[in-house]
Amino acid sequence: MSWLIAGLFCMVAALIAGMVLMYILPLDFSERSPVQPLIFSHKLHAGANGIPCLYCHHHADKSPVAGIPALADCRACHLYISPEAPEIKKLMGYWDRQEPIAWARVNNLPDHAYFPHMMHIRAKIDCSICHGQVAAMERISRTASLKMGWCLDCHRQHKASIDCWTCHI
Amino acid sequence: MKRRTFLQLSGMTAAGALLAGCQSGNEKLIPYLVPPDEGVTPGRATYYASSCGSCPAGCGILVRVSEGRAKKIEGNPDHPVNRGRLCARGQAILQELYHPDRVQQPLKRSGPRRSGEFQKITWAEGLSLLTAKLKELQQGQASDGLALLTPQLSGSLAGLASGFMRSFDSPHLISHEFLAPDLLRQAERQSFGQPGLPFYDLAETRYLLSFGADFVESHHSPVQYGNAFGRMRQGRDTVRGHFTYVGGRMSLTAASADRWMPARPGSEGALALGMARLILAETLYDKGALAANGLRPEELLVRLKPYDLPQVAVLTGLPQESIAEVAREFANTRPSLAMAGGSVAYQTNGLESVRAVHLLNTLSGNLNRPGGVYPAASANGPENSFTELRALVNSMGAGRIKLALIKGDPVHSVPPASGFQQALDKVPFIVSFSQLIDDTALQADLILPDHAVLESWGDVLPQAGSRQAVYGLMQPVVTPLHDTRQFGDVLLAAASQMGGAMAAALPWKSCLELVKGTASQLGHKKEEDFEALWVELLRQGGLFETKTVQGKGYRWSSVAALPDPARPKFAGDRKQFPLHLQVYSSTAFSDGRSAPLPWLQQLPDPMSTVVWDSWIEINPKTAADLGISHGDLVEVTSPQGALRLAAVVYPGIRPDLVAIPLGQGHKGGGRYARERGVNPLTLLALVEGDEQQPAWNATMVRVTRVSQKGNLVTAEHPQGSYRSDLVGI
Repeated sequence: MSWLIAGLFCMVAALIAGMVLMYILPLDFSERSPVQPLIFSHKLHAGANGIPCLYCHHHADKSPVAGIPALADCRACHLYISPEAPEIKKLMGYWDRQEPIAWARVNNLPDHAYFPHMMHIRAKIDCSICHGQVAAMERISRTASLKMGWCLDCHRQHKASIDCWTCHI
Repeated sequence: MKRRTFLQLSGMTAAGALLAGCQSGNEKLIPYLVPPDEGVTPGRATYYASSCGSCPAGCGILVRVSEGRAKKIEGNPDHPVNRGRLCARGQAILQELYHPDRVQQPLKRSGPRRSGEFQKITWAEGLSLLTAKLKELQQGQASDGLALLTPQLSGSLAGLASGFMRSFDSPHLISHEFLAPDLLRQAERQSFGQPGLPFYDLAETRYLLSFGADFVESHHSPVQYGNAFGRMRQGRDTVRGHFTYVGGRMSLTAASADRWMPARPGSEGALALGMARLILAETLYDKGALAANGLRPEELLVRLKPYDLPQVAVLTGLPQESIAEVAREFANTRPSLAMAGGSVAYQTNGLESVRAVHLLNTLSGNLNRPGGVYPAASANGPENSFTELRALVNSMGAGRIKLALIKGDPVHSVPPASGFQQALDKVPFIVSFSQLIDDTALQADLILPDHAVLESWGDVLPQAGSRQAVYGLMQPVVTPLHDTRQFGDVLLAAASQMGGAMAAALPWKSCLELVKGTASQLGHKKEEDFEALWVELLRQGGLFETKTVQGKGYRWSSVAALPDPARPKFAGDRKQFPLHLQVYSSTAFSDGRSAPLPWLQQLPDPMSTVVWDSWIEINPKTAADLGISHGDLVEVTSPQGALRLAAVVYPGIRPDLVAIPLGQGHKGGGRYARERGVNPLTLLALVEGDEQQPAWNATMVRVTRVSQKGNLVTAEHPQGSYRSDLVGI
């Protein structure tokens, strides 16, 4: 009988531990760091090569959305830069098929929250405050909770408006 | 719901949620292949001012466009007709642009007619097919073998269509619409000696009397009048305008009235004259106005003798007291206003009934006064396009028409009693300009698909929506999605390929050039600043402050006879067909042109709350006599045909009247409209009224119950109790 109880206890503990691990670790299938269709390294581009964020995400300072570079933009550089790398060949394959790359979205806000990138850039908020140390990430992963309390903390800290209508318009 | 079903369902829901949780919830981010030209910033919207093309009211719209796609339409606040408001049909023209069944390139018929088998061709092939047919006619000295059918166009396009037909030397240009106010224009000319339509100063009036004019949902300019009605009721601090509605069916407009007078169909003119007689007898009329219009009260009183109160009460089926009360209120409140509209006009005595309402306005001094009635700007149009259509039907039946160019969908929107559909079969070559394979396009030999409104250049003269002339511009807000071409551009291209007189008469290269030409004549001073003016016109969406008002006000024509509505005539023997049938403009579809748009299909009718279907409104007493209950399937039989549709038991209708909304029953028109509901036009018998105007509300019908499966889908039950726990009854 005691064996049974101990076994049950162990099973429950293992289950809970597993669930906690799944929640914390940025595993492949978690929405925090999904597998992307192409192995694109921010560590290489933004870190090692020091390309500024706005070079590729060039709508961030004038539009609510930051924008992802068009396939033609990627290709423009990689026609000359390491064209023989396997992932670049994959990229060129997309271009040859005239098929856009369907990236998995990592940072997402619900539709009822209005988040304008350009206002935050204009207020000199560094990209890394919300997006984390992207320059050190091989695969992009979400570092912030993106919950309303997290928004409000920062708004309070910077004395930005915390009126409902600021974001929920 | 049973306990077991509930447990099963909740178990399934939980399992479903668990499964969904295992999949990645990430959205996809899909970037451009090639970044668009400068001017497009993802996430930033651009707004374009344009005009709505859904109905002749021509409201101004603002279209929000982001990433090169039109996203949302609202009313243009600067536009004098709609003042920033817009109706559901205007909002829905987005779906015309993105309709999944749009004809994406020219098509040539490959199977038998109505089979829907078409073969894709290029524009070069399509145009050469068209011009080859035109040249064939011209060389055979048979240029009157060409017919062009359009809705009632306005602005440059109307000029282009008539220029095309004139230069080809064919008389068969027909601008016909089932709901167009032809009869009202003719009545206007007979009473006041000038063509056009009235502009009612609704917002400033204190007493409104509407004879079947459903100005909130249809009539001339629904957004303008809906807004003006609001201002009449609530816009002034001390006055709340009073509103009485005369008509057998309680429409949305009638439901907004203080008093509903369900007069017997066809008796509205007699009612107006009865009120006029009472006003004269009790000397409540405006003496100055009567003298100014050259009318003598004594003479009028003698002429109106047959319309004494007891007689009118018998004719209309209304109590004497309420008729007298309304007449006195109408005459004693200044300014007051009487309107006449659709359901009155479509009786055999329609023309005289509408003129009786004109007389009522003249007696009370409501002409050319604030809160009264003025001649409207840009209200010209045909006065009896139906007789022209009938002449064309005869020509087509006799095989004299060899080539028919058709814009719009007359196969659906012309009553078959006119013989149009049968006669069209005899035309050897039919060209349709429809965007969808609608009923007309199904019969066509060649489809040259038109642009959507949001892809087109054009100009609009809003119909009867203001006293001032208003010029609305229509501009493309997106690059055309498919390989389509504007109707006007096709006419211009055909004319230039024909060469000779046609090319000389229509020298423009495109509709843009044509519209620019019209805009350049809008009274600006110097030639050199036109480009600047043009940009300004595009920014605003047209020219609104024209300050040109129809100079000549109304005056009772000296040659006009006094209105004398005859007893109404009806098609169908009373014993066999005991009920009057009224067909009315659907709030969502108008005459059916908006039925392909799913937003409008799922828009509940404001009175019955029915969606996605056709229905017939029957008074509870009549329904009880016939053993019909709400949601039953019934058969409606007229001398002309029979239809099966669901019954809505509706207390807001006379017991001797039944009503069916227009708009459904398409054989084509895309996946949302096809084979949905019925087309009540097939029931209508052809009855000629005054001056050969068609009387479409003069058909009698019989209603019999078929089964209880009417499959009505309603948002709620008008009577309150459901027969089953599902929405479908």
